[in-house]
Amino acid sequence: MKGIVFTEFLQLVEDKFGLEMVDQIIEESNLPSNGVYTAIGTYEFSEMLSLITNLSKNTNIKTDDLLLTYAEHFFGVLAGGYPQLIERYTDPLDLLESIENHIHVEVRKIYPSAELPTFEVLERTPDSLAMIYKSSRAMYSFGLGLMHKTFEHFNKKAVITCDKLKDDGTEVKFMIQMTNG
Amino acid sequence: MGEIKPDILQRALQREKAARKQAEGILEDKSRELYNVAQELKTVNEQLESVLAKKSSELQGMFHNLVDAYVLMKVNGDILEMNDAAKELFGYDPKNEKLNVISLIHKEDINYAMNSFQELVTEGFFTDYVARAVTKDNGVRIVHINGSVIKDKNNEVIAAQGIVRDITSQIEAQQLKEELLRNLEQSNKELNDFAHVVSHDLKSPLRSMNALITWFKEDYEDKLDEGAMKSFDSLLNKIEKMDHMIDGILSYSSIDKNEKEKQKVNLNKIVSDILEMIFIPETFSVNIHDMLPVVMGDKFRFQQLFQNIISNAIKYNDKEKGVLDIKCREIGGFWEFTLADNGPGIPKAYHRKIFEIFQTAQDKTKSTGIGLSIVKKIVNMYGGEVQVSSEENKGTTFLFTLKKTSK
Repeated sequence: MKGIVFTEFLQLVEDKFGLEMVDQIIEESNLPSNGVYTAIGTYEFSEMLSLITNLSKNTNIKTDDLLLTYAEHFFGVLAGGYPQLIERYTDPLDLLESIENHIHVEVRKIYPSAELPTFEVLERTPDSLAMIYKSSRAMYSFGLGLMHKTFEHFNKKAVITCDKLKDDGTEVKFMIQMTNG
Repeated sequence: MGEIKPDILQRALQREKAARKQAEGILEDKSRELYNVAQELKTVNEQLESVLAKKSSELQGMFHNLVDAYVLMKVNGDILEMNDAAKELFGYDPKNEKLNVISLIHKEDINYAMNSFQELVTEGFFTDYVARAVTKDNGVRIVHINGSVIKDKNNEVIAAQGIVRDITSQIEAQQLKEELLRNLEQSNKELNDFAHVVSHDLKSPLRSMNALITWFKEDYEDKLDEGAMKSFDSLLNKIEKMDHMIDGILSYSSIDKNEKEKQKVNLNKIVSDILEMIFIPETFSVNIHDMLPVVMGDKFRFQQLFQNIISNAIKYNDKEKGVLDIKCREIGGFWEFTLADNGPGIPKAYHRKIFEIFQTAQDKTKSTGIGLSIVKKIVNMYGGEVQVSSEENKGTTFLFTLKKTSK
C-alpha cells in the first residue's frame, strides 16, 4: 500500500484524536515498519488493517465509519495532488463510471505495482449508476467516502446505497442515484 | 501540547527522523534509476538519429535518382516537392512558384482525377491512373501515376506522393502500331482479292489460247511442218505451266483465308492419303520411320504441307532407286519432322530463296516455284520453322517444326 495512505491517515488521527492516539495505535499494532512511513514508500496493507482496528478499538468507532471519514479527508489529498484528473469531468457520475477505464489506468502509469480495486459498471443512466466493487481489501467504505466527496466537489447530491454481495465486504454493489440540487 | 508525555514525543520524533531517512534513501534510488534511464534513452536516441540520417539520405538518393517523376503534395493538392524528372516533365519548379495539382490536370480528366484522389484518401493508394497532364507551356502529356498517402504517427493523412511516368510516346507508338496493323490487314485482304480476281481473269484467256492453238493444230495439221508443230506443242506447254502458276497463286493466297475451325488431324492418315493419291513410280520408295502425331489445325493445310514436299521429292528424283525417309520426334513444345530424299539436291545459293514465291531451283518447265512458299507459310502459321539442308547430287532434307497445341 502506498505510503501516502499511511502518512495521511496518521496525520488525520493526530488532528482528530491527538498525538497520543497515534503513538498508542502504533505501539499496539506491532508493525514491521515500526510506524515509520514516508509518502513515497510502500508498505504492507496488513499494517493499515492493524492501525484501523486498533483505532476502532480505542475510539469505539466502527472501522467502516473510520474508513469513510478517512476517505472524505483523502479525497482532498487526491483533488489537491491531481486536479487535472478531476477537471476532465463535469458530471460526478461520469467520473465514477470511468474509475476503471481512466483513473486507474493513470494510477498504474505512476504506480505500476499498485493493487487497485475493480469497479464493474452494471448500468448507467443520466442520473444513476450501478456498479460492483471488488477487492480483497474490503475497503468499500473508503470508496463510499470518496464518492460522497466527489458529489460534494461537483456541488451535487446523491443517494448512495451499498449492498454487500459477500459478507466479508470484498464484493459490494453500489447504487448511486443523483438527486436534484 | 504541554500535556503530551515526553516519551511519546520522543518516539514521534524518532519515527519522523527514520521516515525522512527512508524517504531520502528512496529518492536517492529513484534518481539513480532516472539517471540510468536517461543514459539509456540517450544511447537509443543516438541510434535512432543515425538510422534516421541513413534513411533520409537513402530517400534523398532515391528522390534524385528516380528516372520517373516524383511529386509530393499536401492533401489540398498544393505541390510541396518535385524531383528533377518531375520538374522537367511539367516545366514547373515548386520551389520558385506556388503550384496546385489541379493546374496539372487536363480539364476533361478532372472528374476521373477527383475520383482517383478520393480513392487515394480512402484506400491509402491508387495504381495505374492514366490520364492527360498539362505542362507549364500548355503541352499535353499522357501520364501513368501510382500514388500513395503519407500518414503521421496518429494515422492522419498529411500528404500524398505519386510516381509519374510519361507514357505519351509509348501510347503514340501503340496507336501507330495498331493503325499499321489495320492498314496491313486491309492491304492483305486487298491483295488476296486482287490475286483471286487476277487469277480468274487470267485463266479464261489462257483457256481460249489453249483451245485456239489446239484447233489451229488440228485444222492445219497437214500444212504445218514438224518444226512448226514442235513450236506449237512447246507453246501449249507454256500455257499449261502458266495455268499451274495461276493455280499456285490461288492456293498461296487462300492459305490464310477461310480459316476453318481447328480440329484433330492425324498426320499418319494425311500422309498415307497423299501417298495413295499421287503417282509414285515403282522405283521410288517412301519410308515412314516414326508414328506421326495427331495435331490440331486445318486438315487441308497439313495435306498441302506434306504433299508439296513429298511430290517435289518424287518429281525431281534422278536416281535409279529414289528414296524419301520421313521421321518425326518431339522436342520441347514442338514436333520436329524431317523429310530426306536422295534426289539431285539444291544448290546452296538457293537454300533461302526456295521458300520465296515464284522461286525454283529446278527445271523451269516442271516447277511453278510456289510450292515451298506454301510450305513455309503453313509451318509459320502453326508456330514452326522450316529449313533445308542439301548436298548437290546426294539429296535434300527438309526439317520443319510444328508447335504442339494443348487441345
